[in-house]
Formats: sequence, C-alpha cells, structure tokens
Amino acid sequence: MALPLFERLGGFAPVSKIVLLFYHKVEESEDLAQYFEDVEMGRLIDHQTKFMASLMGGPASYDDATLQRIHMPLEITNEAFEGMAELLQETLEDFECSPEDIASVMHEFRRRRALVVHP
Amino acid sequence: MNLERFNELLLKSIGVGLAVADAQTFEVLVTNDCWDDWFGREEKSVSLPEVFPEFDVERLEKRLAAEKPYLLDVAAPAGKRKISLAAKISRHSKNELSVLMVECQNVTRIKEMEYMIQSYSSMVEKQNRELRREKERVEKVLLNIMPKTIYDEWKQFGVTAPQRYDNVSILMLDFAGFTDMAVTEDPPALISELNDIFTSFDRIVEQFGCERLKTVGDAYIAVAGISEASPDHASNIAAVALRFLHFLTRRNATHHQTWRCRMGLATGPVVGSIVGVQKYVYDLFGPGMNLAARLESLAEPMQIVMHEEFRALLDRSFVVKDLGTANIRGFGEKAVFQLVGSDEL
Repeated sequence: MALPLFERLGGFAPVSKIVLLFYHKVEESEDLAQYFEDVEMGRLIDHQTKFMASLMGGPASYDDATLQRIHMPLEITNEAFEGMAELLQETLEDFECSPEDIASVMHEFRRRRALVVHP
Repeated sequence: MNLERFNELLLKSIGVGLAVADAQTFEVLVTNDCWDDWFGREEKSVSLPEVFPEFDVERLEKRLAAEKPYLLDVAAPAGKRKISLAAKISRHSKNELSVLMVECQNVTRIKEMEYMIQSYSSMVEKQNRELRREKERVEKVLLNIMPKTIYDEWKQFGVTAPQRYDNVSILMLDFAGFTDMAVTEDPPALISELNDIFTSFDRIVEQFGCERLKTVGDAYIAVAGISEASPDHASNIAAVALRFLHFLTRRNATHHQTWRCRMGLATGPVVGSIVGVQKYVYDLFGPGMNLAARLESLAEPMQIVMHEEFRALLDRSFVVKDLGTANIRGFGEKAVFQLVGSDEL
C-alpha cells in the first residue's frame, strides 16, 4: 500500500514548513489576504494546517459538509479559488515536490471547488 | 567614530524595539527606529498605556517590586495583519533618576509555530482516540470468538497452546427434518427464522452462565465450564436445554413453521484450541464432544438425552426418565436418560 504524501515527505516537521510558506504567501497576496483579514492568527494557522494535512493524506480531513459550511458565507469567487491554487502550486514547487505529487495535491484541491466557491 | 557614536548606531539598527519611559508618568522618552516602525512616531508625547492597551499598572508594580521584569504579549499592526510582540519592561535607576526600559521582540514566527503544533497535536490526539475505539471494537469481536484467557494468551504470544478441560458440559442440538424443510420451504425466510431462534438461544445460554461454542448449519452447540470453571456446569447446561424446549414449544404454538429439535447432553474431557491461521475459529475436541453428538442423534424430536455420568452431576431438582441402555459407537453400552423437567423451571 503506497504511503500518503504526508508520510513520504517525512511527516509533520517538513509539512509544517510547507504550511508556513503557503500561509505567508497568502498573507502577502493582494487579492487573497482580504478573505483572511478578520480571522485571528491561531484559527487561521489551525485551518491551514488541517487544510494541508487533508490534501496530503495526513491525520485530518475536513468532511464535505464542514467544508461547505465554512466557506459558504465567504462568497469566494472562482478567481480567488484559482489564485489559491496558483499559490499552492508555487509553494509545492518551492519545496521541490515531484511533479506527480504536485499533480495529485492539486487534483485533491480542485476536486473540492464546488464546496468552496460561492460567489 | 567613538564608542558613544557606535552605541548610537547600534541602537538604531537592531531588530528589537526599544523605548525608555518615565518610571512615574510612563511617558515615552526615547525610542529606536525599530520601535517607531512598529508603533509610529507621534509629534506629541505618548505614554505606555496608550501604546499598549494591555498595560496593567498594578501588575507592573508587583513585578518590579519583586525585582522581576514585567512581561506582556502585545500586537502591532503591519499592513493588513498584525505582528506578535513579546514586551519586557524593567526598571533602571541611577542616582535619583529612575526609568523603565521596554524591549519588544518580534515573536510572530514563534507564535505561528506554536499554533501549528497545537493544531497538529489535536489532530493526532483525535486520531489516537479513534484508533483506540477501533481497537476496543476489534477486541470485542475477538472476545466473542474465544474465551478471554485464550485471547490474552494469543495477544501476548501470537499463538495459543491447546488446553484440556475436564469439568465441562456440552449441549448439542439440531433440528429434525431441517434438510427437508430447507428444500421445500422458502430458503431465505427459513434461514431468517433459524437466525431468530439461534439469537433467542444465545440469550438463554448467557442467562445461565454458559457459552455458545458455535453453530454449524442448523446445529447449535453450547458449553459450560470453559471460560469459567464452575461446579454447576451440568446443571446450567441442563437448565438451558429445558429452556430451549420450552421456548420452541411456545414458538411452535404461535408460528406457521414447526421447529423440532433434538438434544444431547454430555460431560467429559475436551481440549480447546484456536484452529486455523488466517481464519480464527475456537473449537473443542475430545470424547465429551463426540459423546454429545452421538446422544443427540439418539434423541427423538423434542427429546433431551443424556448419559449416566451427566445425570450423576445433576441435583435432585431435575426430573429424569430412564431410557435403558444404548450402544454408543466408540463408547460401548451406556445407560441413557431423558431430561424431562425441573422443579425450579
């Protein structure tokens, strides 16, 4: 049975660096930072950690109902979703993840589009 | 460049926000560039409580009186988000002059790591709880298959040694004419009924402190004295047998399908073992088992048959009828009896 990406990368220690890098990219992005403005740091980091873990096969996942519930009031547009996707891809490339792994994480991310985008 | 000038430049360039404030009025007197970047540089004077909404004068006095620095967590705005700072306030006196020294360190990265560790550990703890629950569920299933002592042995060593039991009683039951029933009646409905009957049997068996060993098609085997040694193993099994008869008789009166059982009761040495490697079955072997099977085949429909040694273990409250002797394959001539009833049931 193939190990999930989370384990193949080496578990939480390396993944934590990926989470932080992604978090900072989002923080500095003009378009996306506005969605996170009012969210307090602890909650935001918690969200990013669980988010990354669920995309990589780590010990957490948001079920579909929860994902929908969290994102519905935020009125996220398709452009914003694609913006996140780009930053995510950039982050994984910065970490020199293999093209296959990047593709599979991006696939997991895009798979949830309908739950997240509610313009 | 002299030392004073050097210190001045140093103060300007370090990444810690520094300020000196009046120890009485808390008015901010001197700041470095880093501080100004974070908190802004006003023309008018500001006091520490104005810079830090979290500033607690009482706590400050208390800490300084104990000759300890006053520590507090503050935040400074930076663009759209905030940076986390750890402030340390200490008092310094020279001659008559007393001032407060404020040092602010940027701990944003540290805080981020802290939150992430919190998040991750709560995920892992949740997963551990779920795994523990799953383990308990699996254990429960396995404990249904085999006695606890065997399970403990298997868990510890991965194998179990077959174990001999001398003081046990066995009940073997099957249904007369089941094969014919299975062919002529509606099979799924029939099996469903059989399942209901066996489920009721399980409840009765448990009531009397016995155990169902297994079912094989329409055959049902219960035992007493395996999981727990008991001097009443024979009486318990006899009581179960009578209850089974009673249950079936009542059921037949109210249901379309008639179920007629035969039972054999025996006592004798058996050996218990887990059989198989991939699929686990706990089974019993030995004369006790064989004798019960043969007595069962001797029984008429709705009759419970036992041998002499079993009868000897029963107390006087059980009513038995002498059936004479029978030649039992492997055991020779044996006196056999029918279990008719009990004063207590």
